[in-house]
This record gives sequence, C-alpha cells and structure tokens, in this order.
Amino acid sequence: MKRLLKGIKVIDFTWIGAGSYTTKLLADLGADVIKIETSTRMDSLRVARPFKDRIRGVNRSGYFADRNTSKKSVTVNVKHEEGLKLVKKLIAHADLVTNNFTPGVMEKLGLGYDVLKQIKPDLVFASMSMQGMTGPERNYLGYGLIIGALTGFQHLTGLPQREPAGTGTNYPDHIPNPTHAAFAILAALRHKRRTGEGQCIDIAQTEPTLALLGPWIMNYTVNGVIDNRRGNSHPQMAPHGVYPCLGEDRWIAIAAADDAQWSALRQTLDLAEEARWSSMEGRLADRDALDRAIAECTRHRDAKALMEALQAAGVAAGMVNDARDVLRHDAQLAARGHWVELDHPEMGKSIYNAPPFRFSDAASTPSSAAPLLGQHTREICSEVLGLNDAEIDRLAACGALT
Amino acid sequence: MSETIATHDAGLTSAAPTERPPLEGIRVLDLSGALGNYCGKLFADLGADVILVEPIDGATSRCMEPKIAGRSDSEASLHFQYNNTNKRSIVMDLGRPEGAELFRLLARDAHLMIETERPGVMEARGLGYETLREVAPQLVMTSITPFGQNGPYAQWKAEDIVGMALGGMMSLAGYFDSPPMAAFGYQAFAAANLFGAVASMAAVYEAEASGAGQHVDVAMQECVVMGMENAVQFFDLEGSIRKRNAGQQREAGSGVFQCKDGYIYLMAGGVGENRFWGNTVQWLIDEGVDGVEALKDERWLNRDYLSTEEAKETFKRIFSGFALRCTKLDLYLHGQERRIPIAPIADTADILQNRQLQARGFFAHVSAQSVDGAVGAQSWVMPGAPYRLGATPWSLRRPAPRLGEHTDEILAELEVDEARRKALREQGIVR
Repeated sequence: MKRLLKGIKVIDFTWIGAGSYTTKLLADLGADVIKIETSTRMDSLRVARPFKDRIRGVNRSGYFADRNTSKKSVTVNVKHEEGLKLVKKLIAHADLVTNNFTPGVMEKLGLGYDVLKQIKPDLVFASMSMQGMTGPERNYLGYGLIIGALTGFQHLTGLPQREPAGTGTNYPDHIPNPTHAAFAILAALRHKRRTGEGQCIDIAQTEPTLALLGPWIMNYTVNGVIDNRRGNSHPQMAPHGVYPCLGEDRWIAIAAADDAQWSALRQTLDLAEEARWSSMEGRLADRDALDRAIAECTRHRDAKALMEALQAAGVAAGMVNDARDVLRHDAQLAARGHWVELDHPEMGKSIYNAPPFRFSDAASTPSSAAPLLGQHTREICSEVLGLNDAEIDRLAACGALT
Repeated sequence: MSETIATHDAGLTSAAPTERPPLEGIRVLDLSGALGNYCGKLFADLGADVILVEPIDGATSRCMEPKIAGRSDSEASLHFQYNNTNKRSIVMDLGRPEGAELFRLLARDAHLMIETERPGVMEARGLGYETLREVAPQLVMTSITPFGQNGPYAQWKAEDIVGMALGGMMSLAGYFDSPPMAAFGYQAFAAANLFGAVASMAAVYEAEASGAGQHVDVAMQECVVMGMENAVQFFDLEGSIRKRNAGQQREAGSGVFQCKDGYIYLMAGGVGENRFWGNTVQWLIDEGVDGVEALKDERWLNRDYLSTEEAKETFKRIFSGFALRCTKLDLYLHGQERRIPIAPIADTADILQNRQLQARGFFAHVSAQSVDGAVGAQSWVMPGAPYRLGATPWSLRRPAPRLGEHTDEILAELEVDEARRKALREQGIVR
C-alpha cells in the first residue's frame, strides 16, 4: 500500500520530546527523515530510561526508540567545516528542515533559515523552540512539564484543596506540540507544492498547548472567571468521576450524560432510587453524596466486568488502564493492532506505538525500528551525496562524521 | 474585560491581503461535535473553506461549558465559539433522504469531511464512505470516534473521562494517594482532534496530487495512549508499571514547590543526563541559601540517588527555605537567566499577563456576538496562532457562525434555486 508522504525529504535536527515526535509522525507516513546527530552532544533521550535489559547504552533506550521509528540516523559534526558542508549538501536536496533548539542555535551553527534559503529557496524550515523565535523570553528553556506549568495545565489539573497535580507527564511534548507542528508543516508543504514558495515556521511550544485551553482562557477574558482545579467532576454531568474497584489500585471512570444513562447505571449497580437524584440538576447539586454512594457499590466489583456490564446497559464507562493493561489486556487496542513489535539491531524485538489512525488506502504503521546512533552515516554519504569509500574514510578520520 | 488586556494584532489579523493562506482552495465539511470541531478549526484558520454541517437542533458542542455568563442560547457556548472560528454554518437534517441527497451534492466539491458519529450511522443515512466515494472520488472522509470503526468496543459510549481512562494517560495523573485524575479541559477529545487533523491533512495532501481520497479512521482511545510517555516501554523493557506521583517530587529537584505567592515547577537536573544540576546549586550558593553545602557532593549527579526519599527531603528542605521568600515570577526570571528549567504554575489570569505572549501578539480578537446574533462593537480575546507561518499567516477572519447563518448562501452556491430553498425550509430539511 502507498505511503501518503512518500518522496518528502526531511533533514531533521530535532531531539528529545516534541521535535522527535513530530518527525516520527512524518516518517511513519512515509517521509524520508534523516536525523542529524552527533556523539559529542547526544539526544538526551538516547540516555534516558527505560533501557533494554536495564543496561544503559546509547542504542538501548525504549523512550528514544518509540519516538524515532522509520528514521535514518547520520552522525555529522556540524562544528567541523567539512561536516557543515556535508549537511548543507543534504539540505540542498531537502523539502523540510526541522529543529527544536532554543532560538539562535541553528544560526550559530551556520544553519539559520536565512542561510539555508540561499541553498534551497523553496525550503520549509520549522523551528519548535519552547517560547518562539521572538520576545523577551525566547531563550528560556524547559521540557513538557515546564510548558505545562506556564500554560495552565499544571494549575488546572488535580484537586482544588491540594497542590496542583498536573497531567503527570510531559503532556505538551506528546500530543499538543507534535500534532500542531506536523499539521503546520504539511500545510506549508502543500503551499510549496502549489506555489513554489518555501517559508520559515516559528512554533513556540507554549502556544499550541495554550490553544487547547481556549474556552477557559475566554472564560477569563469574557466572564472574568479564573478557573481552578476540579478533580474529575464535570460542570454539566453527574455522576462523572473515577471510582474504586476490587483489587489494588483499580479504578473505573463513569459518566452519565442524561437521565437514561443514570437510570441504567443505578440498576447495574443495584443502587436504591432517590428522588433528589432523579434529575441532572438534583445530581449536580448533591454530587459528593452521589459519588460516595457509587463508590460504595463499585469497590466490590471487578473493574473490567463492571465496565462491560455498564457499556452493555448503555452507560459510558471505562476502567483506568495502566501500562500493562494497554499493552497486554485491552481487547480494543489489541483488535486495532495498536502495538507493533519491531526488530532493532541492538535491542532486538520491542514494542512500539503505531500511529493512532488508519487509512483505507495507505499504510501508516512504522516501517522500521529506531536507528542506531549513526547507523546510516555511510549509506547516506554514499547514496545521497555520492561520496566514495575513500572520501568517507577521510571524512570520518578528520572528525567530520562523529 | 477585554479592553483591559494588552494584546497586539500585528502578525495575526493584519495579514496582507496579497498573502495567500496555505490551505486556500480546500473545502472541508465539518459534521462533528467535540471530537472534531477543533480539527476543522485548524483547517479553517489556515484558510480552508470549512462548512459546519449542523443538525436541526445545532451541533452538540453548542451546549458545552463554559458559557457566556447569564446566557444559554445557541451562541452562548465559549467552547463552541472558540472551536468554530472562520467556519460557515449550514443546518440540514441528514436523517432524511432529501437532506442526505443535498449532502452528497455538497460532497462533490469537497476535499475533506470530518464526522464523529457512532460507526454505522453514516452508512444508515446513505452517507457511508463507499457511497460517497462514488459521487466524490477525491474526498477524504475522516471518522473520529471514541474507539474506532471496528473492534469489540466500536459501539461503546465514551465521554472524555472514559477516553482518558481506557487510553491509560489517567493512570499516570493524580496524587500518589488519590484516585487517578483526568487532565483538565477535555484532553482526550483534544488528542482525537489533533491526530485526526494530522491524518486528514496528510490524506488531503496526497489526494490533491493523486485524485484519490480515502477513509481515515481515528480512535480517541489510541490517541490518548500516545500521551503515556515512556510508561509502556518501562513495562515492556523493565517490567515495571509507572504510577501517578503528584504531591511529591518525581526525583530530588523535580516537581512542584510552594513559593511566596503560589507555586513553581522546577526540573533542577533536566531529563536524561543531569545537565542543569550545577546551575541550580550555584544559584542557591549565590543566594546564600542555608544548608546548600549539602547539595554539592558527587552523589547528586547520580540519578539513582536523586530518586531516594533522603535526597528528596534534603532538597526540599533547602530549596523551600529560599523559594518561600520569593514570588513565582522572580524565581522564574532569575532561574531561567541561569539556564535552569523552572516556570511559574500559571492560572488563566497569569497567562493573559505573560509578557512573552504579549510581545509575540499571541492573543487574538474576534468580534463578539450578542444574543440576537448582531455582531457588536465589543470584541473577545482568545488564543491566536498556534504557529507562525512566515509566508502564509494564520488569520481570524470571522467569528464562529450563528446556527444556520450560511444555509441560504451555501445552497445558492450549489445552485439550489430560491423556490426550492423555500420548500426545503418549509419541510424542515434545512434551517
């Protein structure tokens, strides 16, 4: 089956979280992504846990592997004159150059947009720094959790009477930023194909993250309301929450959107009928007592069996899956083929996410495991740049390919 | 309040008219609710002609909180207003054969449709992909649903919180001693919208060249799984199950710390290598913080030591003594000047005052709609461009449409004459 982005050539300077994930999306869809690395300043995910067999090594991180499927890795030292020349030659053949350094780093390396557009006038150049290429805080640094703090996610998630809990992960790195960036890049590539015009895309990772809180930003700008944490409650729905089940740390999420779902929930749980809970207004007003009553019923039930019984009765319910559950036990993810096992030259077989969408007439499952550091250096030098073995050996010896 | 908030239009609404938006010429039919409206907005804000195809009672997202204080009409939802900018609205009853026929007419010139119905509903209306492909071979049909088009849960119901639970992200969020917590603001819906937008854009990109559209199947549950960070790899490679850990440091120097006027988030060492630890310790030394000598020895460069309770307690005792004397903004500015990953834990009021966002002109204005639908002099402030495309800017051209605002205009474009439009309206097929 065809791949949708076949033929798009990407020279990829991204590393760590959101950047690598952006180019993974493109690579899994068929773009030819060459990850430019150097062993002198490594992608820190290469040395981040978990490691295969718990043995630390630059080619053993599962975190790195999952974010770098379907890519090729070339080690080039761009601080070396000949290394810089090589990279520029690669860019002369490319459609897209990506990076998520702080602003100024690409310029310092001699690879800023103003230089590169001389080499390749229709180039799309995508920059994904934390706070953008302009403004007084453009040089500030951070990770997804820092972006989560700046943008309100940390403040807004958790219980109102306790310290902010946040999303528990570097959420902006995994979903808001890579998807927005990939969308903007594809739009720019479409424009380039139609008009021959390239451009520079400036993505401040705080901004796509904030874009997901638009309605609550407006709740402040329009209504003057500063939203606070609200646990698992919902302003228009009760019951709506997470309830304990049988076993250690087992939970089920339940939401009853209307009276019919409430009635089905009540019957499935054998919960006595109470007049004050017969309307949504009544349930919202008495939310805490309602939650306690439901928890008393659910704590004696198996989460999976209860989820199935509630869904059979037409109630939105789902057990809280942990990492083992999503990989080993969830029947839907298994049926969808969400997990793919790929064979890596050093790690052997391990588990990767497939992209969370399927096409009727195109392939999107990762085409290869993550690359070893510099796995494709010789191949790219020879096949793309047309260098012979002697030249490659000389470049390696002088330190341009480290 | 909007007049008191400093914003800056340059680069947002002032796109020179000669600049062509990057998605100019793409037509999108957005039949969705909360699972797909933001996906449609991404297309609309980059210049696609996005038509919101609403049922007679309006899109379900018109009822979602938060709402404009004191209003409950069909234009009152701020959720709807934000997620439907730059779109036009046509109201039609797709459950009736005449409505479905009109829709097939619309689809003939469309590049993309986004729908979020339970699997099987579109087929029952005569609007399944196989039928639409016959009249519109170029069309990409994107179906965004809780669990996807097939599999044992395909017909199951899900709200955002159920997607968060079954997608596993929730198992990582919340306090170590509390139930798991859903991320604020319908992030399971957001994930489905976002991955749906990437898949749709890739399919449209290819279809414009090949002439062949296709059906795109997006499952919210799988989209949420993408947010599990490294948890599944930890289980696969090390056999350990990552747990939620809010309310305590993730490791010494990483987590929420109280300060004089709120909280800050600090990642003293960074991720992977402990790159920034030295900067943090030097800062505390320069500030003359009590007990800082305890943070200087070699042990602190070892991540295993940072994970011990002893290390966490020592760091917290020393750092908190300093942080409680400072404001979140001071800690942010001074820490960042020393290249330390630190940030204030901001609420929405803080965000509107963020000098970086203001300098970049991030916030956009859109004309507010009053109850009677008149576009008044008042304007609303909302998040603006999530990305700056140098040559083809993002722009807000119009607010979200009133229910059925463009029904007549769009039918006229389809060359449905006035008499027929009147008849369709009288029969309740359009509104």
